Amino acid sequence: MNADLFIPRSLDEALSVVQTHGAGLLVMGGGTMMMAHINEGIFFPQKVMSLARAGLSGVYRNGHTQIGATTHLAEVSQIADYPILAEAAYQIGGPAIRNMGTIGGNLYMPQPAGDLAVPLLVYDAHVELASPSGSRTVSLEDFLAEPRSHRGVHELLVAVHLPNPSGHTAYLKLGRREANTPSVVAVGVRIVMDRQGLVNEARIALGASGPFAFRAKNAEAALIGQSLNTKSIADTAQIAMEESNPFTDALATAWYRRRMVGVFVKRTLEQLTK
Amino acid sequence: MESITVTFKLNGKTTAVAIEPLESLRTVLREHLHLHATKAGCGQGGCGSCTVLVNGEPVLSCLMLAALADGQEITTLEGIGTPQHMHPLQAAFFDRFAAQCGYCSPGMIMAAKALLDKNPHPNRAEIAEALAGNLCRCTGYVTILDAIEDVVTQMQEA
Repeated sequence: MNADLFIPRSLDEALSVVQTHGAGLLVMGGGTMMMAHINEGIFFPQKVMSLARAGLSGVYRNGHTQIGATTHLAEVSQIADYPILAEAAYQIGGPAIRNMGTIGGNLYMPQPAGDLAVPLLVYDAHVELASPSGSRTVSLEDFLAEPRSHRGVHELLVAVHLPNPSGHTAYLKLGRREANTPSVVAVGVRIVMDRQGLVNEARIALGASGPFAFRAKNAEAALIGQSLNTKSIADTAQIAMEESNPFTDALATAWYRRRMVGVFVKRTLEQLTK
Repeated sequence: MESITVTFKLNGKTTAVAIEPLESLRTVLREHLHLHATKAGCGQGGCGSCTVLVNGEPVLSCLMLAALADGQEITTLEGIGTPQHMHPLQAAFFDRFAAQCGYCSPGMIMAAKALLDKNPHPNRAEIAEALAGNLCRCTGYVTILDAIEDVVTQMQEA
């Protein structure tokens, strides 16, 4: 394997590698996906940059929460104030994978992997992207929807920003087995109630239910002003099903995934009534 | 192609090795350093048979760039016991017939060691969670869990 490997020691160093070699560069966070592809012989990258030593790891709190891009899933699974983010991280892989995989890398995983996008959408996360010419912060929603082929390596995801959490949350992942498996579907919800017990704010995020993780906004809208009851939950689950655009792969058919979106939106919302 | 030299502590001994840039730690351990306990299973992060400890934490050596081992402390199965002086986990796997074909055993034992080093008194469910990334296609896992529980009991009695 003839290749150049860059292991920058700082973000500045990483950005100068991007400036010089950006076009043909493969960027690795923890390498759990890219190394698998390289081992398999799916591709033979000529230029690889690992961000493992670039100092982009760690969880910081300063009015809001900032999670560095190369923070390992194991550390993310300990972030107690964002319980469904921690839970989703813990449900990925096994202990060794969680010691390697990173939050930033997870957001580049193609579906049905990349579970962390689901709780992060629920918490209204933004991502900070740095390039040699400056940085920008975009909503995770917009970031996930950007066409990947246009992205190239002209910028690096350096951090995930989370506002302080409000409301009640639930997350459920359906896999073919309990551990170390991609999602059949993953569903995260967050509900803020008003004083009358009516839904004031709703987030419903779906993973493995479309080309990328997304918010089921029609389903969210249907819940506003409602109380959480059998009918409103069933209606919301139906709308989320209609809104989903799932795919068939080795784990499940699109037909099955769509039905499981309904089942798991219902189950997550039911958890909030208890 | 330029080879790079990495230096790390391997099973307590400072080791320098020339590697190709994109070689995995597993390839370097097996093919350069001829330590064959660490297994080359799926190469995809699906089986856990290549599990080694990096600074005491379990990682999958097939998915780790060997270049990133530079300056780290690596422990493989060869580093924790010998046929004459087995690690308690190795002895328990032997006594409990926790290895049938034996292919998963090195990864299982390293994952279990990482757990016991942090939590010497895990219950059976916690042991199973620690082994969640390690597949065994022979034993049905029962004897593996029994073996690790034996070690937990021995440690409590000692």
